[in-house]
Amino acid sequence: MTIFNRPDKPAETTAKPAATLVPTPVPATPQAKPQSVSQPLYNAPVKGKPMATTISKSTKITGQLESTEDIQIDGEIDGDVRGVNVKVGNNAKVKGTVFAEEVELAGSVDGKIEAKKVIFMGTARMTGDVVHQDVKIESGAFIDGHLKPEFGKTAAKVSPILKSVSSSPAAEKAS
Amino acid sequence: MFAPSRRPAPARDTSAFAPSCLAPGFVVVGVLESDADLEIHGAVHGRINGTRVVIAESGLMRGDIVADEVTVAGRLDGRIFATKVTVEDTAHIINGRIFHNVISVARGARFEGRMPWRPPSYFETLDQLPEPTA
Repeated sequence: MTIFNRPDKPAETTAKPAATLVPTPVPATPQAKPQSVSQPLYNAPVKGKPMATTISKSTKITGQLESTEDIQIDGEIDGDVRGVNVKVGNNAKVKGTVFAEEVELAGSVDGKIEAKKVIFMGTARMTGDVVHQDVKIESGAFIDGHLKPEFGKTAAKVSPILKSVSSSPAAEKAS
Repeated sequence: MFAPSRRPAPARDTSAFAPSCLAPGFVVVGVLESDADLEIHGAVHGRINGTRVVIAESGLMRGDIVADEVTVAGRLDGRIFATKVTVEDTAHIINGRIFHNVISVARGARFEGRMPWRPPSYFETLDQLPEPTA
């Protein structure tokens, strides 16, 4: 012990390095880390965190998409999209019909949009018809097609998911 | 005190290789192609062509996956063609045929099927998938 004490004494005169040496019980982080070492690719799902679908830039989907939740599209879609809140990002391309409650378009859609609320951003490029109830068009948007305020009037065209959500089978039978 | 040890929040990366994530309740029928990471919490019926693919615990895949690296923690009914495959303990695989070079299957995983080993050259020259045999 005396051996250890001896070199410490001159150090203590310059109190600062000693002070940094003493309170170094920093095992809090190193202890926590080794437990999560064996997860290279797959991280266990974060519970309670609402997950949104994102289709990133380098992703291309050919076929049908359906979701009961929000969709953010930044990639390329060749086919129909059915969702609740669909956002088509700046460089995204959709070729097909987009059915949703709300569509925010900043990319390009070649086909059709059927949504209650449609927002065309300044960078939007739309080729085809739009069936809506409420529309907003920002300056700079390109639209080649008809805008029809008929969403909900042609109930048969509403997507099956939305139909089950809005529970309008009675109205449908009556017609 | 602990501020320096805290990792900075991951920067929101909007680059070309941002991962795609399919949320639960999201269904795709068709082909999914991606050069970025792909995380599937929803359902895919069809085919996935990717680099790194994760079938998460709530995920369901019915069809073929062609990728470099595949992790399965959810349900799979179909084939995988990947050099590196990881099967997590929550995985449930039926009718599986996992063509792999390196594989790890966690204890507790439910697996029904085969996992044929292939040399790395097999995956490099994989242009056309073999016909599925019953």
